[in-house]
Amino acid sequence: MDLSGAFTAMWADLPAIFSMLIVGAAGLVVILMEAFQNRDPRIPWLTAGAFGLAMGWEAFQLGTAPDTAFFEQLRTGGYAAYINLLILGAGLFTTLVSPPYLRRLNRNFGEVYALLLFATVGMIMLGTSNTLISVFVGLETMSVCLYIMAGLLREDEGGIESGFKYFVLGAFSTGFLLYGIALMYGTTGTMHLPEMAGAFPDGVPLLFWAGVGLVIVGFGFKVSAAPFHMWTPDVYQGAPTTLTGYMSTASKASAFAALILILFFALPSAQASLVLAVLALITMAVGNVMALRQANVKRMLAYSSIAHAGYMFVALASGTTAGYSGALFYLLVYTVMNLGAFGVLALLEWDGMAGRKQTLSSLAGMGLERPVLGASMAVFMFSLIGFPPFGGFIGKYYIFAPAVSAGLTWLVIIGLLFSAMSGYYYLRVIYVLYMQTAADVAEADRAPEGGFAQPAWLSTAAVALCAVLLLVLGVAFSGVVDVTEMLFIQADAMAQTP
Amino acid sequence: MGIVLAVFAGFALALVAPWITGATGRATGWLYSLVPAGITAYLSTFIAPVAAGETMRVAYAWVPGLNVDLSFYVDGLSLFFALLITGIGTLIFIYAGAYLKGHHHLGRFFAYLSMFMAAMVGLVLADNLFTFYIFFELTSFASFVLIGFNHDEAASRRAAWQALLITKAGGLALLAGFLLMEQATGTLQISAILETGEAIRDHGFYTAIVLLVLAGAFTKSAQFPFYFWLPNAMQAPTPVSAYLHSATMVKAGIYVMARFHPVLSGTDLWFWLVGGIGAFTMVLSAWLALQYTDLKGILAYTTIMALGALTMLLGLGTETALKACLVFVLVHAFYKAALFMVAGAIDHGVHERDITKLGGLRSKMPITFGAAVIACLSMAGIPLFFGFIGKEIIYEATLHLDQAALFFTGAALLANVALVASAGLLAIRPFMGPLNDLTSHAHRPDTGLWFGAAVLAVLSLGLGLAPWLLDSAILAPSLSALMGAEATPHLAIWHGFNLPLALSGVTVALGVGTYFAWTPMRQSAPFRALERWLGTGLDNGYDHAINGLLATATAQTNFLQNGYLRRYIATILGTTVAVVGYTFGHFGFEGPVLSFVGIAPYEWILSLLIVGGALATLFLSARIALVAALGISGFSIALTYLMYGAPDLAMTQFLIETLTVILFVLILAALPTLSEVASIGHRLRDGVLAVATGSMFTALMLAVLNQPFENRMGEYYMQYSYSEAQGRNIVNTILVDFRALDTLGEITVLLIAGFGIYTLLRLKRSKTSEKVEASRASEQVEQLS
Repeated sequence: MDLSGAFTAMWADLPAIFSMLIVGAAGLVVILMEAFQNRDPRIPWLTAGAFGLAMGWEAFQLGTAPDTAFFEQLRTGGYAAYINLLILGAGLFTTLVSPPYLRRLNRNFGEVYALLLFATVGMIMLGTSNTLISVFVGLETMSVCLYIMAGLLREDEGGIESGFKYFVLGAFSTGFLLYGIALMYGTTGTMHLPEMAGAFPDGVPLLFWAGVGLVIVGFGFKVSAAPFHMWTPDVYQGAPTTLTGYMSTASKASAFAALILILFFALPSAQASLVLAVLALITMAVGNVMALRQANVKRMLAYSSIAHAGYMFVALASGTTAGYSGALFYLLVYTVMNLGAFGVLALLEWDGMAGRKQTLSSLAGMGLERPVLGASMAVFMFSLIGFPPFGGFIGKYYIFAPAVSAGLTWLVIIGLLFSAMSGYYYLRVIYVLYMQTAADVAEADRAPEGGFAQPAWLSTAAVALCAVLLLVLGVAFSGVVDVTEMLFIQADAMAQTP
Repeated sequence: MGIVLAVFAGFALALVAPWITGATGRATGWLYSLVPAGITAYLSTFIAPVAAGETMRVAYAWVPGLNVDLSFYVDGLSLFFALLITGIGTLIFIYAGAYLKGHHHLGRFFAYLSMFMAAMVGLVLADNLFTFYIFFELTSFASFVLIGFNHDEAASRRAAWQALLITKAGGLALLAGFLLMEQATGTLQISAILETGEAIRDHGFYTAIVLLVLAGAFTKSAQFPFYFWLPNAMQAPTPVSAYLHSATMVKAGIYVMARFHPVLSGTDLWFWLVGGIGAFTMVLSAWLALQYTDLKGILAYTTIMALGALTMLLGLGTETALKACLVFVLVHAFYKAALFMVAGAIDHGVHERDITKLGGLRSKMPITFGAAVIACLSMAGIPLFFGFIGKEIIYEATLHLDQAALFFTGAALLANVALVASAGLLAIRPFMGPLNDLTSHAHRPDTGLWFGAAVLAVLSLGLGLAPWLLDSAILAPSLSALMGAEATPHLAIWHGFNLPLALSGVTVALGVGTYFAWTPMRQSAPFRALERWLGTGLDNGYDHAINGLLATATAQTNFLQNGYLRRYIATILGTTVAVVGYTFGHFGFEGPVLSFVGIAPYEWILSLLIVGGALATLFLSARIALVAALGISGFSIALTYLMYGAPDLAMTQFLIETLTVILFVLILAALPTLSEVASIGHRLRDGVLAVATGSMFTALMLAVLNQPFENRMGEYYMQYSYSEAQGRNIVNTILVDFRALDTLGEITVLLIAGFGIYTLLRLKRSKTSEKVEASRASEQVEQLS
């Protein structure tokens, strides 16, 4: 490696990580502010500002050609910008809905926002990584922040359990990931993803596949694919709701993005298809079946996010450019609808402790009482089912159609049947929101007068914006789809000409 | 452009209706009906060109990359259904305005209703599988909100949810069918699919496509065994029942089958599945209808009967059968919508729908009575009414079948007998006889409440007298589209004395007999059993199915998601072993040749200590012994490091092992004694898992040894350590020269961590003062917005 021009090259590469710099610097400033004034009210604003600024920057990068930075450690250009926008958007949304909710829990610490910012830095690194090293560093940066966020409710048993389980299992699965990375490096002699596929002129050795298998196990944990999903319900339920929303979307988006990069660049052919298909099948089955019986909405959404990871794997199993771009599109839709759903839940929750009052019954009649939040929740639920004309439907179409083309018809039909099953638990939320009233549910489940977090107009507006966005994505999606497809065509072209 | 407007006009009305309804007052229904009326008028302009053999297609690119268009296609079939939807819609809008007069959610109701109408028009005109599906689902959603319109009643809520779950599940099956259809034909464009001829029938997916599409159609059009949602859906306000659950939405399933008839039909599978289930549904529901005394109950089951008949005719697939299908769609829509409006008018005026409690209403609502009589005569298939023509052609179709003619004719006869009796019940019971306490207080219905029924009655009579009016303008183009070939049908009142006419006579005679035997028959044991098994029985079956599903979910959740961290870890380990094991199995394992020669005794001892320590944890139950056993394993491993030339690694391992033991002992002191000891079974399971995991990693290690090792990095450092970094100790040069930046980073991190710990310690010391501060902070009102 020629390091003579290292310093000039690294200076020149700084714009490539503009978002990471801004977000990371904001995190440091937030910590300082919190040190000087407890719960400085400017902190959420600063955080939101940093996210917004970074998003603005990334929006301009969407159309740029793919490239790499820092000695091919990181990926830049359209693909990276798309993923970054997704992650930063999730961060911005979380920052907007969190203050009223965290205030109610007496947890509106500045550190929460700092952790949010640092986790985002990790996610950006993970989602745009071009080598296994940056995959690992990004993943760990993200995970360590998330472990702390999951256990934020320290006085609450559920919160403690949440943080502890996440940490132990997370550390455990990281071991597998690291082992897999070591094997992949050992067999190819390179950490750079695009170089891996070409490393075997005469046959792929067994060890490489074993490494890929272990990497998939590690990622399976991070994106909560069954049977590595078991931490998900406990952690999602125990963590503060707005942060759960962030965990279930941004971290999944970046982990999936990295997994797609590995599958797309590093694998010589689509031979992982069967493993991924089986993973998809188990994940869809576990998520959908278990969600049926949940009386706690947060837990139900946790299982639902498992089910959606399963749908994503259907797209990955198809192993084609269309499948990957469909998966990218679905990530966007999924992020919007899940963030929104958790956002609504956070604003309609009246006692975050131990998940006691996130029951379905406690939402009875809320649809008419809080029209904007209720209508938004209805949109999220319909979209999660995959009901047209919302984004969820188009998203599902884009992940199932490539799978059919790739000959995975059996998997798609099973997936659609599970989607039909999911109607039961999503529609139940709408049913309770609109068709029941507080009089229909047991006394203990009723929300007390004025017992909710006081939704600031900004939080409500952010939730409503998600709902509108889903409608837009459901009707005028062709632009976004063109972008996601273009990303792979460009990326492919780049892989061809190293 | 006009067609797009025609589709979206309904959506536009849906958007504004909730806001302007307050201002429109009593005229609401009449005013809003201008929208469907306008669409009808616009669509009517297509009748002449379509009759002349033209088809129109409008397409706007939506997602060009996937060939998804927003496209609409006007041919005979789609125009036929579109006109039916908007035409009846006009009358329903007028009726609904009167029926729900003064309802405080009238605006919302009209919003739902016009959304439904728009979705329905979009559905029949859609020329893209994708758009078709979207509109299909929208109709399900509209049906959900309309059935549940009176959501303060538990029965309405249940019915709404049931209808949505069933039609939604069917809808997804339909989507799967569409995906396969796209695979088979290579296009999403419906008009192009219709021209692919044998492509689908010859394709390997044919059976799957038929089953999936039919699953969608049968759930939507209430065929056996899914029909139970339809009677429950009668919880909806009557205008909704009349429009959605009789005249239009339930026909969406029929439309699906009709639309794809040219490419799907003509096989034995289609003939027996569609024809057979249709015939069975038809006969069954016709007789089930006689079990009910609720006006809407009777109407619901006779609607299912009609849907069964239409399905059967589509299954039979001969030219006469298809002609009969189209005629019967019209016949049924005219008389059934009229009868629903009559039932609603009675309900509105008397607040009672039980025919055994009604009577004498002919004097109170004469026009309604007249409309009811005409509609029922048409329903019974009496000559000179439109229904007669419909029934004649059905008999003609079943009689001229190449196979199973007797079976289908018998089924049709059986069903029609019951239908005649139902018609009698509907026309006679509420209106004849003396007035009773209930009916004498009935008030005269508004114009809006009888207007629609009267118009439809006039149509039933007029088309019965002059059926040939439909021949070339309506019937010929739609039949051609349905068959996929040119057709010139002709309708006439009189076909001479022939077998169908005789059958008609027999039908009416038997039907009249059934009418008079109604009360004892209804109360007889076999009929009650029929109702119990196939009426409420299926409904209960639905409950059982849902409950069973939920019970399975509970069992699975309790088994897999038990909350124990150790089981979670066990699952992850097990799966990893499976994944890696699969890889080994799939690609073939290659390890070095193993040899046990020349292993020194102390090496054996160390290995045995490592394995023995691990195994011992399985059998020990005291905590301190467990820790000791693990320690033996750990220290033995450290010793092997030492022996094979990695003193630094051994050092680290020794330190960690020592620290672990100390930490364990510290924690153990604070823990309660073990209250229960794991059973032998658990230990065995854990042991197997441990051995499997260990074997997997051993195998991986062996495979790694087999891999040629490339030591580029090592060589690089050896080569440049002295020349570039001026140092002989390679580890040192790596730390302070080659990776100096990393070291700087590490030191910084350590520094920060140190600060952090110091802060934490300080925090603990001033805990009390911090608590005060925290509570003060929470009182501060921080407003983000």
